[in-house]
Amino acid sequence: MSARLSEFQLVQPARIEDAIAAFVAKPGARYVAGGTDLLVNMRRGIVSADRLIDLSGVAGWGSIDADAEGMTIGAGVTIAALARDPIVISRYPAVAQAATSIAGPGHRNVATVGGNLCLDTRCIYYNQSEWWRKSNDYCLKNRGDTCHVAPQGKRCHAAFSGDLAPVFLALGASAEIAGVDGRRRVPLSDLYVEDGRAHLSLKPGELVASVHLPAVLAACAYEKVRARGAIDYPLAGVAVALMIAGGKIVMLRIALTGTNSRPFLLADVDQFIGKSVDDAMLHGVDRLVQRQVQPMRTTLAAAHYRRLAAAAVARRVVRRLAGA
Amino acid sequence: MTAAFASSRPGVPLIDGIDKVLGRARYTADLDRAGALVGRILRSPIAHGEIVRIDTARARALDGVIAIVTGADCDKTYGVLPIAMNEYPMARDRVRYCGEPIAAVAAVDEETAQRALDLIDVEFRALPAYFISKDARAPDAVLLHANKPGNVEREVHHDFGDIEAGFAAADLVREHRVSCAEINHAQIEPHACLADFDPVTGRLTVQDVSQVVYYLHLMLARCLDMDESQIRVIKPFVGGGFGARVEVLNFEIVTALLARAAGGRVFMQLTREETFITHRARPQTDVVLKLGMKKDGRFTACACEVTQRGGAYAGYGVVTILYAGALLQGLYDIPAVKYDGYRVYANLPPCGAMRGHGGVNTRHAFETLVDRMARELGLDPFAVRRANLLHAPMQTMNGLMVQSYGLAECLDVVEQASGWKERIGRMPPGKGLGMSCSHYVSGSAKPIHFTGEPHAVIHLKLDHDGGVTALTGAADIGQGSSTMVAIAVAETLEVGIDRIRVISSDTAVTPKDNGAYSSRITFMVGNAAIDAAKNLKKILIAAAAKKLEAHPDEIDCAGGIFRVGRGGQAMLSFKEVVAAALVDEGAISVKGSFTCPVEFQGGKHRGGAVGSTMGFSYGAQVVETSVDEATGMVTIDKVWVALDCGHAINPLAVKGQIEGQVWMGMGQALCEETRYLDGLPAHASFLDYKMPTIVESPHIEAFIVESNDPNGPFGAKEASEGALAGFPPAMVNAIVNAIGVELDEIPATPDRVLEAIVQHQRKVKLAQKKARS
Repeated sequence: MSARLSEFQLVQPARIEDAIAAFVAKPGARYVAGGTDLLVNMRRGIVSADRLIDLSGVAGWGSIDADAEGMTIGAGVTIAALARDPIVISRYPAVAQAATSIAGPGHRNVATVGGNLCLDTRCIYYNQSEWWRKSNDYCLKNRGDTCHVAPQGKRCHAAFSGDLAPVFLALGASAEIAGVDGRRRVPLSDLYVEDGRAHLSLKPGELVASVHLPAVLAACAYEKVRARGAIDYPLAGVAVALMIAGGKIVMLRIALTGTNSRPFLLADVDQFIGKSVDDAMLHGVDRLVQRQVQPMRTTLAAAHYRRLAAAAVARRVVRRLAGA
Repeated sequence: MTAAFASSRPGVPLIDGIDKVLGRARYTADLDRAGALVGRILRSPIAHGEIVRIDTARARALDGVIAIVTGADCDKTYGVLPIAMNEYPMARDRVRYCGEPIAAVAAVDEETAQRALDLIDVEFRALPAYFISKDARAPDAVLLHANKPGNVEREVHHDFGDIEAGFAAADLVREHRVSCAEINHAQIEPHACLADFDPVTGRLTVQDVSQVVYYLHLMLARCLDMDESQIRVIKPFVGGGFGARVEVLNFEIVTALLARAAGGRVFMQLTREETFITHRARPQTDVVLKLGMKKDGRFTACACEVTQRGGAYAGYGVVTILYAGALLQGLYDIPAVKYDGYRVYANLPPCGAMRGHGGVNTRHAFETLVDRMARELGLDPFAVRRANLLHAPMQTMNGLMVQSYGLAECLDVVEQASGWKERIGRMPPGKGLGMSCSHYVSGSAKPIHFTGEPHAVIHLKLDHDGGVTALTGAADIGQGSSTMVAIAVAETLEVGIDRIRVISSDTAVTPKDNGAYSSRITFMVGNAAIDAAKNLKKILIAAAAKKLEAHPDEIDCAGGIFRVGRGGQAMLSFKEVVAAALVDEGAISVKGSFTCPVEFQGGKHRGGAVGSTMGFSYGAQVVETSVDEATGMVTIDKVWVALDCGHAINPLAVKGQIEGQVWMGMGQALCEETRYLDGLPAHASFLDYKMPTIVESPHIEAFIVESNDPNGPFGAKEASEGALAGFPPAMVNAIVNAIGVELDEIPATPDRVLEAIVQHQRKVKLAQKKARS
């Protein structure tokens, strides 16, 4: 039940290559940036690390670069810096909107874009003290062999609850991933896997170095529901990018968070291309969301509520963006 | 007309406020603990089971482990009610909830203590565990306590007036069922205790977060089998109580047991999770309430059944279940009241007292049903309340004395301030107004431990420096009681408050006080402080008279200046009078006391002492809400609240307390609840226990109503609990007003609200279908 941090070695590299080398050299190492997710989990004993590699001193890690092609956001940019960046606010207001809604002001000052994208998945059976989890025979995600949320199944249903990922997904972002073998760029959706125990496709030593957003003409917005208006993780969050020409939808992307083990782009939205945003279309969005989200009993709020709320928010955001 | 509206006096900042704001205040965890061992508790991993074996050998063998204690080291029960002490500091042969202490370790550091806990082997034989009242009361359920059949700790059956005639006389009779979730005090400061045992003298000193220093002193003596004279208990600054610390808690005794076993100092700080598990807060409550009403809104009868899921041990439970019934009365004039209460044992952390103790959930059921019936009869909610006002002085059917009653004024104030008349019925879609009333006691007139002593005693010391030191056992836990004592003494002596110093809650120094609970301090300790100051004033006036060669009756004392007659030429300053008073006598000590007269100590029926008080505070409030029907999110837009506290001794502190009550009521109404997964707390952090943040906190317009209670200190009554119970029903009434949907459960979390909306829409559709076919 102790909330004491275990002993660890702190490494503070100046270059990303050194960070990766430090990781590879020590099995059981972890990258840390703001620490708002990792340190809480370490105190609870659900994450252990003999070595923490502090990325905050890595050169270029915290910069935002914009040009005509789009914008590149360093993984080390703090959530607060992202929220108040004038170019972000003017060109990608939904990003600033999502950033402003994350946790509380104290968290936003230290938490980073990379950390929010790589946020550990969460579950009421997982985010508990050592005494608690031990009393409950642990769980599939941590030291145990049963998922208490779905004991018959074989997978972990812990939910992803980052707020930036859905907005980036809706904006068509890609992620630059650095690793032992150099760098690779992947569509952001490829970073995620629908498995609460291993929801990131990163290989050992790899880390997200930056996010690239293309220039976007579509209107975009993000909204979420949560128990309280601050601090809490989203029970369901929805980002929508929508472009309308001549009263007809020419582009639509809807991305969700909080309902599954990964943030994901809603499939089959192409059926709405060429249609106008009306009650029938919104009803269709509602049904699509309800069919594709998979909320499980990972939060104290009822799972079914997260399904209904995700659909309601999706409907509302689409309607608002269409000005309908 | 006894009541005067909102006090225009500003009041004074709390005398210990500067220390807190500047970070100088030392709380228990800030104390110098040089040389202290670290204490940790081993807690049960199961909700119910027999302890077959505890083996501490491996832990004892670990380097750095100085002492280990288990249930075998203390065979004395402890508890707040002499009639219901059924709990050991550490479980002896059976554990009854997840997290119950089993053993404890004192070691050189935290890591060693934790490793030692891991090395203690405990073997259990599991028993069936019950997490809801219904399961615990099932005929074949295993009993948690052998002497409590049906797992019912206490049944209460009270019947006042002619209930059948009452319902027969009604134009409308309605019954509804309400469920209120269990909540926790969630005070900011986690539990902590520093215990110091001197093996040479055999004396024990404990510094601790308690609200009830005297009870802790008593229980330490009992459980450690020590003479009371060998114990000293000190309360440093305390970071909030709200009832969390109004009974002695297991970790306090365990820390002392460890200190004695180690022959030294032991410091124990509980984690937030352990602080939640220690619990003692408001129980999950099911209320079935039936009311009879005339067409004009007059109540004819009230029948109420309350089931409280009290957790695994007695704690304050008997009092809570009695309060829930007793406080049906004393607010309105109801000709007949029937009450059936059941306090049920379950395999969860024990519940206890929490701000608004016992009254909140029944008040919620009552005030929401009144609104439902008012709607049905086409009556305005204010009009219904006004149709049922009491007229002080009076005595209720259950023997409660109402000496002052400012509810009518409270109603007027919030009705006007909220623009109720102009706005009700004209709110935009999704927005609503709701109102409610509430009340609370100013201290229990019959103490828990009846000794025949006064209800409060204060000592004053005056010495060469001209400073007056007030010694009080009353525990200031942030509510401002020490400031209240300073004001009471200063105003009586007619000197500036900076001349007064208050020392509180150190059993070696301050006179015994029962502690900070049931909002007793202002009324009882305030009166004792005035009494003490009057006694001191007599001495000073006598000294001034002697010096001025006049008769004491001729001495006029104002603003710290003593003269003969009003406007007399010969005068003495306060310091001159003090110097004169010290001649021959030396340093002066006086005392004052207060005792509640026996006629205030409640009805003659069994349990009649609970609810008895010298004076009730009264509150009315209006809540404005917005409801998002798509997501079920409820927003509190604004609150108007009036509290009749008799007289605001410190209006600044009273306003702070009113805002705090509203805010705490809002937490229970909107989002706070404790939830267990197979008996394990799923809420035990400030992320998962949803206290409102500043974002959810509305603007609160607080009004003070002063009804000048004939027995209160300067006319004062309590000011920190009475308005709490009004919030949840006012909010639920506002939600109905906004969207036409009734909520049978609180808190009004978005999932509950959306579910209620969905059910409501289904019902409406079904009704439409029926109408068509």
